[in-house]
Amino acid sequence: MLVAWNYRYRNSLIDRIDPRARFIFSFAVLLAATSTWNPLLLAIIFLFSILWYASAKLSWQDTKRGWLMISILLFTMIVVNTIITGGGAGGVVPEGGQLVWPEGFNLFGRHMTFGLTVERLWFAVAQLMRILSISLVFIMIPYTMDSRAYGVTFRKLGLPDRLAYTMELSFRFIPTLARNFQVTLDAQRARGFELDSAKGGVLNKIRRIAPLIIPVTMNAIVSSEDIANAMDLRGFGQQKRTWLYELKFHWWDYAVIGLAVLLLGTVLYLAYGHGMRLFEVPPWWYGLFN
Amino acid sequence: MYSNEVIKQEKKPLWRFGTKEVVYAAIGAALYAVITWAFNIWQIPGAGNVGIRPAVVIPMFFGIAFGPIVGFITGFVGNILADLLSGYGFWLWWDLGNGIMGLIPGLFSVLITDFKGGRSILLAEISVVLGVLVGMGVAAISEMWVSGADMNTVIFANFLPAFITNVLWGLVLLPLLMVAYSAIVTQSGR
Repeated sequence: MLVAWNYRYRNSLIDRIDPRARFIFSFAVLLAATSTWNPLLLAIIFLFSILWYASAKLSWQDTKRGWLMISILLFTMIVVNTIITGGGAGGVVPEGGQLVWPEGFNLFGRHMTFGLTVERLWFAVAQLMRILSISLVFIMIPYTMDSRAYGVTFRKLGLPDRLAYTMELSFRFIPTLARNFQVTLDAQRARGFELDSAKGGVLNKIRRIAPLIIPVTMNAIVSSEDIANAMDLRGFGQQKRTWLYELKFHWWDYAVIGLAVLLLGTVLYLAYGHGMRLFEVPPWWYGLFN
Repeated sequence: MYSNEVIKQEKKPLWRFGTKEVVYAAIGAALYAVITWAFNIWQIPGAGNVGIRPAVVIPMFFGIAFGPIVGFITGFVGNILADLLSGYGFWLWWDLGNGIMGLIPGLFSVLITDFKGGRSILLAEISVVLGVLVGMGVAAISEMWVSGADMNTVIFANFLPAFITNVLWGLVLLPLLMVAYSAIVTQSGR
């Protein structure tokens, strides 16, 4: 079983930005998007996210799997809960409102009534902008960041040395463990082990996974003892760690951090200082349904 | 005198994070990522229709065996790695939820004295339910803040599916891993 990281160098704008600056920008977007329901502010954040995503030069082929997952989330939250049932709008959208089809409508020769309001529909748009803004900045991370950079990035962002090193180490264990997993699966199958059998109830099916998971886990634990001993012999944790992968800030990284601070600061100032935090429907939206 | 010494040796420091713990946490996170990824992407036939993440037992087991910090990192970093491998992006609140699923069983690790004893297994099973309840609860409730979902959506679309499948995997697989680990403990004198 071959493990392939999704990252590759694309010679994009994002490739030139320091991973720390990228994380700071992504978290600024997350905090900004979650501090307001104001459509104007959400539209500005959404625009920033689109530009950020576009600067990564990602293709649809690269990211389609992640988008599929987000589409399921969006369908459940927006189509099912906000538009169809109206449950998802509870607590944000006030009760009542103007019906989109006050007289009902005809579908396949039958007269139907549907309690969708103009306010709920606008909330769906706001919700779409908020979720997509966050998704755009976070979905691109695996495709745009070298796996060697995570440990040092989190260390430089303030994580303790040991924790950052754990992260670094776990990246390096993945290919070995994936190979062990494949070897164990092949060995168990050679013994007549039926992982794919459709027989038995749910509990039996769950238990059937055990002959695969147990040997892989125990083998990993036993081998970790040797690694820990080797690390101890080399004096692990006695001094401050140095990292093979060096990070260096450039002027454009400071500019990205400045932009992130400016975006977050402006949104927080307008949301909490000027009453632009709560959900509201712009007048022109009502005009579309009159 | 002798028995007191034995008891002292067996007492586990709950919050220790030395070299061994660093390696256990890294191995646990990598294992969680690989197993999740294998069942997600590579799709083992037949197993796919049972549930989606048998690997959730890994942070629970690493928590029980090596303490709360190892359990937390296994779940937290493991979920980040699994998402990175699968191309799902970076979802901090779900990573945190997965970390808690390992942290809470880890808090019970001081009470586990014999990995194949009935009392220890019962305590571990309780920790599974509590861990998944709090972990998936935190992750699901965070969707209210992130996506603006209401409580009903959070409960029925986010929390319950994750809670039921994760508890099921944990309750069935954790005792099996504990019994297997007890053999290693006896063999190597860990």
